Amino acid sequence: MKEALVSLVTALADDELIIGHRHSEWTGFAPHIEEDVAFSSIAQDEIGHAAAYYSLIAEVTGTSPDHMALGREPFEYRNAVFCERLNRDWSYSLVRHWLYDTADDVRLAALQESADASLAALATKMRREERYHLLHANAWIKRVSEGPVEGRTRLIDALGMCYAEALALFDILEFEDSILENNLLPCSSSELRGRFSMRATSELDDFGLPADVHRDLDDSAEFLASSSGDLIASEKDASSASARPGIGGRAGMHSDEFKALWDEMTSTHRLHPEAQW
Amino acid sequence: MEVYEIFRRSGHKNPFEHCGAVIAPDPEMALLLGKECFLRRREGEHLWAVRRSDIHALEDESVLEIAADKSYRFASDYRDVVDKREAARRRVASMSWGGAS
Amino acid sequence: MSYEEKLEEFNRRVEAGDKVEASDWMPDDYRRGVLKFIEMHANSEIMGALPERECLPKAPTLKRKMSLAAKIQDEIGHAQLLYRVAEDLGKSRTAMYEDLLAGESKFHNVFHYPVHHWGDVAVIGWLIDGAALVTQAALLDSSYAPYTRVLKRICSEEQLHLRHGEHITLQLASGTDYQREMFQEALNRWWLPIIHFFGPRSNVAKDLLLHWKVKTRTNEDLRQEFLDRYVPKVTELGFSFPTPVPRLKGDAWVVAAEDIDWAPLDAIKKNRGPETQRRLSRRRAVYDSHRWVREALSEPAVHAA
Repeated sequence: MKEALVSLVTALADDELIIGHRHSEWTGFAPHIEEDVAFSSIAQDEIGHAAAYYSLIAEVTGTSPDHMALGREPFEYRNAVFCERLNRDWSYSLVRHWLYDTADDVRLAALQESADASLAALATKMRREERYHLLHANAWIKRVSEGPVEGRTRLIDALGMCYAEALALFDILEFEDSILENNLLPCSSSELRGRFSMRATSELDDFGLPADVHRDLDDSAEFLASSSGDLIASEKDASSASARPGIGGRAGMHSDEFKALWDEMTSTHRLHPEAQW
Repeated sequence: MEVYEIFRRSGHKNPFEHCGAVIAPDPEMALLLGKECFLRRREGEHLWAVRRSDIHALEDESVLEIAADKSYRFASDYRDVVDKREAARRRVASMSWGGAS
Repeated sequence: MSYEEKLEEFNRRVEAGDKVEASDWMPDDYRRGVLKFIEMHANSEIMGALPERECLPKAPTLKRKMSLAAKIQDEIGHAQLLYRVAEDLGKSRTAMYEDLLAGESKFHNVFHYPVHHWGDVAVIGWLIDGAALVTQAALLDSSYAPYTRVLKRICSEEQLHLRHGEHITLQLASGTDYQREMFQEALNRWWLPIIHFFGPRSNVAKDLLLHWKVKTRTNEDLRQEFLDRYVPKVTELGFSFPTPVPRLKGDAWVVAAEDIDWAPLDAIKKNRGPETQRRLSRRRAVYDSHRWVREALSEPAVHAA
């Protein structure tokens, strides 16, 4: 039960921390000054949510939230690869912001039904703050998708890069069986992925953006839990050409982009792990 | 893009107050951006965005000048009620039947 | 009224402590001077976000990560407020931003320097923000009223930043030898730029902004206030100053004029500081590659969903 809770909440927290970290890299450079301020708030919210999740873990394991955030080795992070990708340009960051917050809303709605009362309460609180994120992301996507050709084309290209990787937010978690048995999540990751992709494709349709090209990806390769609880790539899928990109994050397998992020993010903390900052 | 003037109100006891302006493409974005520019510390619970071009300002501020004495419009003009009350009491005390018994 | 009469009336008003609004008549030199001054302040806020922004990804705890992000966000917010005030004097924000990118306008000297580690965040947050607060508080009584209105908010947020910077400093000062060394090393690099920050001695006879009470105090006066306020605090924490070393004269902490090397400031005035071109070119690159965003924001919808 404890392992299951830690596994679930670590994945949630790491997603929030890493995407918040990426969002915060826009600070000072966003393409509109008012947006710089707004996007910084969103970055701060995500990091704040990570901190709240880490505190939940800390209560169970006795480790500190800062150690969870900054004191682990790269392979110990369970965020989806999707969250760690470089910001590239505003179209990429915007589409990622939209997909991530849409996925997060699906996930938080499910977590509100968690048998773990503190997790459920936290999800309810966070979902309120996430309302703004959704409004913000939707307003931007609407604006750019209805606007001049270049912006619209960039959105479509970014969707092509992002959509498949976003599905990996719902790849199977370590100890997923136990997570489900204990009702920490009311339904499986793959069930949530189904809800997410239904909602995302239908909303993309409303924006007049193509989403149907991605439907075939929804049920393709992912990592499977072995009997020991470790994740292994299913042999068939790993070699198949239709394997989704961006998988492996939930098993601690990250991209080079993450390695660079981790080096920088943990550098001050690692200098002097015993110090108070 | 246009300038939107942003107004906020905190609680129910105070009126809306101007707090700044944003440059935004439409009212929806003006509100979304205005919220973080001017309410991120929860300085208010209500937010308005008004297109600056829709605001009409009094051009000739000299019409605000007041020529004659309008002090009667202000409470301060009635500060002598204290003396007046005293005078009224004295008057009552001096009446032959001495007021209520 | 003739121009001379208007000018005389304007001078009389300002001399009497009256405030000027954007819609009031004002001499061209006043408009130009105030615009340039506020534009530089706005530029400094947006460029001032960058040094700390470079340390943000390395913040050592979650709380520091969030609070530093919030602090930098405030600086961008200040730029937003100030550019709006400047715009109403007749230059668009786009024009101001493009002048900044082209190196045609200026920003404060301290934001032309590199940052190396968390000790820089402490020095910037405490001493540079402390210096900025001394200069900004002195502007609260400026003759240009729209400026003073946004300065009220800016100064109150700067008060918070000062606490934030002092908090980080005190944590380093009471930490390990290594942490104390981080602060000392950063202070050694930043001290001369901080002294420069207030500018060379004001030329009171020629300074139109002083004449029209846009600025109310001289550079040396502000520098002195800063030294008197902060030198004892830094000393008390057991840190020392590099050249120009402040010395106690009577009850004032003074740095000797001959100890101040102005050459680095002169280079920065020509946009030739150590980090000037790198930071500006990064900004330019992002700006140039995001023209499509500006178009998406400014052009009406062409694709009906």
